Amino acid sequence: MQTPLAVPVPVLRLPRGPDGLSRGFAPDGRRAHLKPGAPESQECPVGQGSQESQEQRVRAALRERYLRSLLAMVGRQVSFALHEGVHVTAHFGATDLDVANFYVSQLQTPIGVQAEALLRCSDIVSYTFKL
Amino acid sequence: MAMRQTPLTCSGHTRPVVDLAFSGITPYGYFLISACKDGKPMLRQGDTGDWIGTFLGHKGAVWGATLNKDATRAATAAADFTAKVWDAVSGDELMTLAHKHIVKTVDFTQDSNYLLTGGQDKLLRIYDLNKPEAEPKEISGHTSGIKKALWCSEDKQILSADDKTVRLWDHATMTEMKSLNFNMSVSSMEYIPEGEILVITYGRSIAFHSAVSLDPIKSFEAPATINSASLHPEKEFLVAGGEDFKLYKYDYNSGEELESYKGHFGPIHCVRFSPDGELYASGSEDGTLRLWQTVVGKTYGLWKCVLPEEDSGELAKPKINFPETAEEELEEIASENSDSIYSSTPEVKA
Repeated sequence: MQTPLAVPVPVLRLPRGPDGLSRGFAPDGRRAHLKPGAPESQECPVGQGSQESQEQRVRAALRERYLRSLLAMVGRQVSFALHEGVHVTAHFGATDLDVANFYVSQLQTPIGVQAEALLRCSDIVSYTFKL
Repeated sequence: MAMRQTPLTCSGHTRPVVDLAFSGITPYGYFLISACKDGKPMLRQGDTGDWIGTFLGHKGAVWGATLNKDATRAATAAADFTAKVWDAVSGDELMTLAHKHIVKTVDFTQDSNYLLTGGQDKLLRIYDLNKPEAEPKEISGHTSGIKKALWCSEDKQILSADDKTVRLWDHATMTEMKSLNFNMSVSSMEYIPEGEILVITYGRSIAFHSAVSLDPIKSFEAPATINSASLHPEKEFLVAGGEDFKLYKYDYNSGEELESYKGHFGPIHCVRFSPDGELYASGSEDGTLRLWQTVVGKTYGLWKCVLPEEDSGELAKPKINFPETAEEELEEIASENSDSIYSSTPEVKA
């Protein structure tokens, strides 16, 4: 006796697994306010708390401005001042996640033009470009 | 329309899952902890199986894991001769309790003030968690390694199982009150406070005893060697799993086998009902945990019941590999390429 072909119960998604990067226990998780060092501690008056969050807001705003400046640079001619007084110019392409390297093209160096190159940010002292 | 059980697979462990436990129901839902031979016990959200965090610190296989009632504390028992107590909210290690041999089992009292441990040194130990430096109280008597130890009767008594016996001890006097002997190795034990029922598995048998008198109530025989069984909170069903990789569901009152489910790729080592009875979790030699619905087709957690009228063509199509943000895609790529601590698997392996 064959039962009619049953339909598997639909699921919204599969359970999330480990992120592979950290041990988890997300600071923004559901139970975050239960963590030690949260509102329980008496040494953390409300005034200080709001000053810290004010600072954090400012930091976040500055970071956002910086990231937007990188976006604005894409495709433009940028002058880089490197160590030892070396200056190069290039068309800015992209940066990596940690802003450790800049991907550039048409890099004009004292010894010639490089079609594609990676500039190490640790080698860069400053850079300027016109908007 | 007949609906087929869709188990939810929780991946992340890299070696067999040997123990699992649920917390009680908290204002944030309920939680699940899994013990694994890879030494990295994991905490998950109980109703979805979503990973919350991994307790890092043990230097050997973790044989036992438990949560306290409100899921603020976790305890683990490991082959590195220690039991550890953890903050289950932050994941931080709070205490390391040194033992003289492999520790197999840990259990909190209802008020989380005491921890019971047992292991290969054949001693039961009771730690006062408010005085972690103090020496634990020890109860001797077992003649083989202790596999499971549980508080019972409102923490006034202790139940412990070794290879061939189950013993009942009085907490206050630390003396043995009763014992049961078995011809076959006892594979698991579960204590149900409401009704004072003890579930014991050995060989192919699933046996129910009074936790107060140890008198037998009833027992069932399964088609294969059973490693673990769990009784539903309302005592309507029980589930059991073992060496044939299948999960069996029985009617507790009649003993009738209601369902059997295939899915795991290795023997099942542990199975437990959630505190609300809506699902049960199984841990296997294959390194996965699976969540199973008690009532197949009911909308709960990640399972979504779609009625025929609502069918929009998406019926019976699990949404696989649906990263919500670009970040998740990057993480997937990163985890495949980089040398990560865990061998995390992408959301789905087709």
